Amino acid sequence: MEYSEVLTLLQKLCAAKGTSGKEDSAADLSAELLSQYMSVKRDNLGNVIGKKGEGKGILLDAHIDQIGLIVTGFTDDGFVKVARVGGADIRVLTAQQVTIHGKKDIYGVITSVPPHLASDKDENKATSFDDMTIDIGMSKAEASEVISLGDRITFNGPFDKLLGNRIASPSVDDRAGVVAILRCLQLLEGKDTCPIEVMFSAQEETGGSGACAGAFNAESDEAIAVDVSFASAPEVSSEKYASLGDGALVGYAPALDYAMSQKLMEIAKAKDIKAVPEVMGGRTGTNGDDIQVARGGVKTALISIAIRNMHTAVEVCDLADIEATARLMAEYIIERSGKNA
Amino acid sequence: MRKILEEICSLPGISGREDIVRDYIISKIEGYCDYQIDNLGSIIAFKKGKKPAKNKVMIDAHMDEVGMIVTGVDSNGFIKFAFVGGVDTKVIIGRNVRIGKDNIPGVLGIKPIHLVDKADESKIPSSDSLYIDIGAKDKEEALKYVSLGEEIHFESEFVEFGNGFIKSKAIDDRAGCAMMIDLIRSDLEYDCYFSFSVQEEIGLRGANATAYTIAPDYAIVVETTTAADINDAKGEERVCVCGEGGAISFMDRATVYNIDLFNKALQVAKEKNIKAQPKTRVAGGNNAGAIHKSRGGVKVLTVSVPTRYLHSPCCVCKYEDIESSRDIVKAMAEELASC
Repeated sequence: MEYSEVLTLLQKLCAAKGTSGKEDSAADLSAELLSQYMSVKRDNLGNVIGKKGEGKGILLDAHIDQIGLIVTGFTDDGFVKVARVGGADIRVLTAQQVTIHGKKDIYGVITSVPPHLASDKDENKATSFDDMTIDIGMSKAEASEVISLGDRITFNGPFDKLLGNRIASPSVDDRAGVVAILRCLQLLEGKDTCPIEVMFSAQEETGGSGACAGAFNAESDEAIAVDVSFASAPEVSSEKYASLGDGALVGYAPALDYAMSQKLMEIAKAKDIKAVPEVMGGRTGTNGDDIQVARGGVKTALISIAIRNMHTAVEVCDLADIEATARLMAEYIIERSGKNA
Repeated sequence: MRKILEEICSLPGISGREDIVRDYIISKIEGYCDYQIDNLGSIIAFKKGKKPAKNKVMIDAHMDEVGMIVTGVDSNGFIKFAFVGGVDTKVIIGRNVRIGKDNIPGVLGIKPIHLVDKADESKIPSSDSLYIDIGAKDKEEALKYVSLGEEIHFESEFVEFGNGFIKSKAIDDRAGCAMMIDLIRSDLEYDCYFSFSVQEEIGLRGANATAYTIAPDYAIVVETTTAADINDAKGEERVCVCGEGGAISFMDRATVYNIDLFNKALQVAKEKNIKAQPKTRVAGGNNAGAIHKSRGGVKVLTVSVPTRYLHSPCCVCKYEDIESSRDIVKAMAEELASC
């Protein structure tokens, strides 16, 4: 595989865990990686905030949280009851392996209800989240020793290297964005740039509270949010959505700063970086929406990385697209810094 | 047996592609018995006991596991497949698989939930719409790595968790194979035949032939069966219960069992202080369906390990139930050989 810097970062970050509101090891690891480039602190909501340079500059954002489940109780037999954290996809969770982050990490399997016990006899329907339970092979008394209400659950899955430069893993959404920002900073090392603020934001999957509070404390008057978007696949139109390998997806939307979008496309062309426009009709459904209206307003751009199977444990991305996103941001910052110097 | 179980569960071997499993079994039984491989690929082993048997007893477990087989590649390089054996669509979407001898990694994709109509949010896609993504950029690249007819198996490692539980793919029926290997490697009271049969999951093909060849008086099928002891289910709706020992069948969808053998097995287990339980639901089916009507008819007993989430990449059972199942099988083989 090519793109070894991106690959190494993605593998590390996908192995770390952190659901919305409890970003745990993912936030810790991203903070550690970010501290190579700038001073880093954590805010009240758990955002990882970095800053290099003084004064107004550019804010780069990617969310560090991932979707998952939360413990709501136990059945009499010791099966764990849950609710979802973010938009977990019920259709892929039957017999899915999970980790419950209790007093220690507990292995479990989401139960698969045999047809004769199913409340909904429709074979083609997934169990509802209300009926979902996790088998941890323990009695209720044993379970409540190690697991507490509110503990978080993440979906297990290998970091699978597919053909070419493609990867399948849980939580590529949005560790791919975090990697793109870290790689961008790596590319900018030794260069004199405008002030850069970085936010690895908490709680995007539950509504963007992290970015909302984080952007309030940021000084920058310009921001780029990096998130994942839909890649074409069977039943996901290639006319409507970009394909893996198309490069950075530069967002165009009424809520995004048009001049920034144009500039990003222009730079991509000039620097021979693969990029295509991704057009949305209003807001973007990303942290960009929250950052845009922070304080008196922030000019905001969005770059997306195409992935397949979003919100499953097999999110597929192409490392070349992460690299393209990193390079495009780096070139944008270099140009912006030159202009303002 | 524990190490053998872990190793044999991890091997790939869908129906008709049992070679790797067969080679492994042979490596473990070589020197402990006489064996032959029949025309379909099943292993027929004969283990000499301390005494000759009055009745010819055959013990059977199947080597194959459920999975998929490559049927085509679409114009964008996505792999189309057919199921091999009964696989529930909802336990494989969003999972990792391995294709062919080179173990090419792939994943079963799905249209993102964000793009699905609200009314269809919990609807499982039809099996025809499923595909495997190996990351190929087009059909040509995919065909360099994957060929039609190649086997596809689940990627699911062996895990121990909770109170003595294990999770793996293919516990159905590598648990049975592991028990038979263990018996062949131990000292037996009476002469005994063993059938490691192929192609159970696509309709009991292998056991048809091995039962004919062995021509037993009695047969014991060593299997796994659905344990529905989840979500506070009560009584017989649980079918059988993890931790309560080997499940003995009186009837399933393929066989009406010899009631004397059913009763005898529960009685012998009780006498010998081995945990056993009746299977409390007429469901499922196994090689007994083929063996009991072989030649002029064979009296058959089935002992199964209670297993949750059967035919999924994540089968769950208790190791102690595999031990008690083995002990029942051993005791009943002696009983039947000498009765």
